[in-house]
Amino acid sequence: MSLRLLKAAAAALTLCAFAPAMAPGPAAAQSFDRPVRIVVPFAPGGTSDILARLIAPKLSEAVGQPVVVENKPGAAGNIGADAVAKARPDGHTLLLMDIGSLAIAPSLFSDLSYNVENDLAPVGMVMFGPYVLAVNPSVPAKNVAELVAYAKANPGKLAVANSGVGALNHITAVALARDLGIDWKNVPYKGGAAASRAVVSGESTVIINGATATLPFVTNGQLVGIAVTGDERLAALPNVETFKEAKLPLNDAGTWQGLLTSGKTPPEVVAKLNAELNKILAMPDIQAKIAEQGGSVRPGTPDAVKTWLTTNIKSWGDIVRAADIKTN
Amino acid sequence: MELFDNLLLGLSTALQLNNLIYCLIGVVIGTAIGVLPGIGPIPTVALLLPFTFGLAPASALIMLAGIFYGAQYGGSTTAILVNVPGETSSVVTCLDGHEMAKRGRAGPALAIAAISSFFAGTVATVVIAVLSLPLAALALKFTAVEYFSLLVLGLFAAVILAHGSVAKSLAMVFLGLLIGTVGIDVNSGVARMTFGIPALSDGLDFVPVAMGMFGLAEIIANLERPAVRQVVSQKLRDLIPSRADLRAAFPAMVRGTVIGSALGVLPGGGAALPPFTAYALEKKVAKDPSRFGKGAIEGVAGPEAANNAGAQTSFIPLLTLGIPANALMALMIGALMMQGIQPGPQVMTEQPELVWGVIASMWTGNLMLLVINLPLVGLWVSMLKIPYRLLFPAIVLFCCIGTYGISNSAFNVWLMLGCAVVGYFFIKVGVEPAPLLLGLVLGPQLEENFRRAMQLSDGDPSVFVTRPISAVLLLVVAVMLLAMLSPAVLKTRERALAE
Repeated sequence: MSLRLLKAAAAALTLCAFAPAMAPGPAAAQSFDRPVRIVVPFAPGGTSDILARLIAPKLSEAVGQPVVVENKPGAAGNIGADAVAKARPDGHTLLLMDIGSLAIAPSLFSDLSYNVENDLAPVGMVMFGPYVLAVNPSVPAKNVAELVAYAKANPGKLAVANSGVGALNHITAVALARDLGIDWKNVPYKGGAAASRAVVSGESTVIINGATATLPFVTNGQLVGIAVTGDERLAALPNVETFKEAKLPLNDAGTWQGLLTSGKTPPEVVAKLNAELNKILAMPDIQAKIAEQGGSVRPGTPDAVKTWLTTNIKSWGDIVRAADIKTN
Repeated sequence: MELFDNLLLGLSTALQLNNLIYCLIGVVIGTAIGVLPGIGPIPTVALLLPFTFGLAPASALIMLAGIFYGAQYGGSTTAILVNVPGETSSVVTCLDGHEMAKRGRAGPALAIAAISSFFAGTVATVVIAVLSLPLAALALKFTAVEYFSLLVLGLFAAVILAHGSVAKSLAMVFLGLLIGTVGIDVNSGVARMTFGIPALSDGLDFVPVAMGMFGLAEIIANLERPAVRQVVSQKLRDLIPSRADLRAAFPAMVRGTVIGSALGVLPGGGAALPPFTAYALEKKVAKDPSRFGKGAIEGVAGPEAANNAGAQTSFIPLLTLGIPANALMALMIGALMMQGIQPGPQVMTEQPELVWGVIASMWTGNLMLLVINLPLVGLWVSMLKIPYRLLFPAIVLFCCIGTYGISNSAFNVWLMLGCAVVGYFFIKVGVEPAPLLLGLVLGPQLEENFRRAMQLSDGDPSVFVTRPISAVLLLVVAVMLLAMLSPAVLKTRERALAE
């Protein structure tokens, strides 16, 4: 048997194995009668994973059922998201991820196996973590004006490290270059940690990444902080201006972590989950832990997340199409 | 003396009773998951992460670190006994370790694996204590250009690695490189050979491929052979390595430790590079390379030392720079952040008792592992007396559970079963799967770093020879190539093969 046939066979068999899970279940129960899963579509250790593991025990107390965190990494989060989209729509299968990736997915993947807006039902926003724009100290720039001037004087010289083709920080770098009329290289890495390392070592020169990952290097002088996203300056970097102050676009770029469930879940189940989530986000210990992740809690309604998704699917999509970024 | 003070501070943390207990828990769990094929340290650490919230930061990190290096010890056990690599890093141990077991020398193989790991662990602890800062600085000098040259060197090692026909091993390397291209390309974002299957978009996972081609294929091959099992000697004399064994293994241990310590520091090198490189070196320096693959004790000692040393020195970038060298170190960063400690270069100065406590605990942990593992050798060997018809379904079951657990995906289970069929075919036609695995691991990194280096240099290939580290690495490759092609060596190689 050829390798290709083998793969096809393996895929077919895999589908069979999953078939029972995909069959539509009975009408959703009002109460929680079996363990709840929070699917994190990335490997353990990232922001989504840590948030899920923080929330799981609290949610378990609230619904009276065990809550387990399940990592289903692969395909930029699409495998985990797809599993939740196709789970029984009774609120027992949740998805916790950076919903920015969800907003980009429809534009990036032409053959996405689920519809972000119809097959997933938002439960609520969990947190927002700002981005820090930082450069290697070899770049002669201490603020946005100097960086833009340097980039204009040296087209193609700066190299922006990103966490992968089509990742949110890649699209952000593309959009910044477009709006500021500058030309820099976009260098993809396997994940944010590899990108950070590359900019600390000077292999690439610019990084736009989450505050948690970037701050230690800036406070230690291995990177120079240029600007931060979000409404306020960071307490740890009082001298680094915000994107808004520097008149940069994309002031709310960053990591937006949201909780979702399968699309057909009855609204009353979603409302119950939303109420419990917002109660958990109001707890001081949770707020403190989330602050340690470099973010702040963002309790809100399911509709607010829905609107966020619709808006961003369009705005990110425009950038992706304009820059002709594709993954297949 | 500052180093002495630091180590003393570390030991005073590591020797606290509660920290000793957490260290013991960590290494026992680590040994257990290492023995179970496919169940790796990453899901285990993820699962245990929430339990560490309540612990002091040092205790939490000591326990999690214990799981990691404990798994390196345990992983060799199944590799030697049943040819199933428990961890990525123990693939190489299969080559000669299992051969030793087949020849009734499972006891010495297991003991040498444990002793090599302990030796490497002890040395690596000292290396971390003394050389952390310079090594971390060196690791930062490795950019895409240097990685590319290092990986070229690694792939040359793959050809040396195989015994038998050069053509066959080259073919296997290329097959490995080919299936390594499956998935979304890092540099361009283009999906290659994924056939629209999302599970393929991150490429083929190394663990199911390795377990299928080595472990399960071996099981299929065993089942068609008549059930002739060599008598397993239970006499203590046959369980412990002889003086000659130790004399042969010791230099290999030292070389393996050096290689592992150096390669472990490099981020992204992965668990596969140190043992593969150590094995290739042992084969190169051996007086009679033809013994390799037939139960050479150096082939166990070198790679085992390398993988344990590498596992420990991979903590250096984490502890000194706050940069994770691999996925497990990324999890450790998560654990630190949950404790309210901002990982980064400042941890070493702000939390010295944490950093040095973890470093010192590695030595106490390694001692515990040696004490746990040596007496277990007899028990493991007696497992070989279990009738194969009872043993193999258990192995297959554990393999399936383990591969499913990698990313909670049934796809990996099917991939492993498919690779078992392919691996069985390889046994039938007499080719070695090891070069294929090396190609699969190194190929994607080779391509990624080459293209990144070219992108950053605006397409100027001269960077590979103008940057000093890269130039030296490529020079070594050139010398190896010349040596291999020189008529004298070709003749000896032919003679060696004819034996």
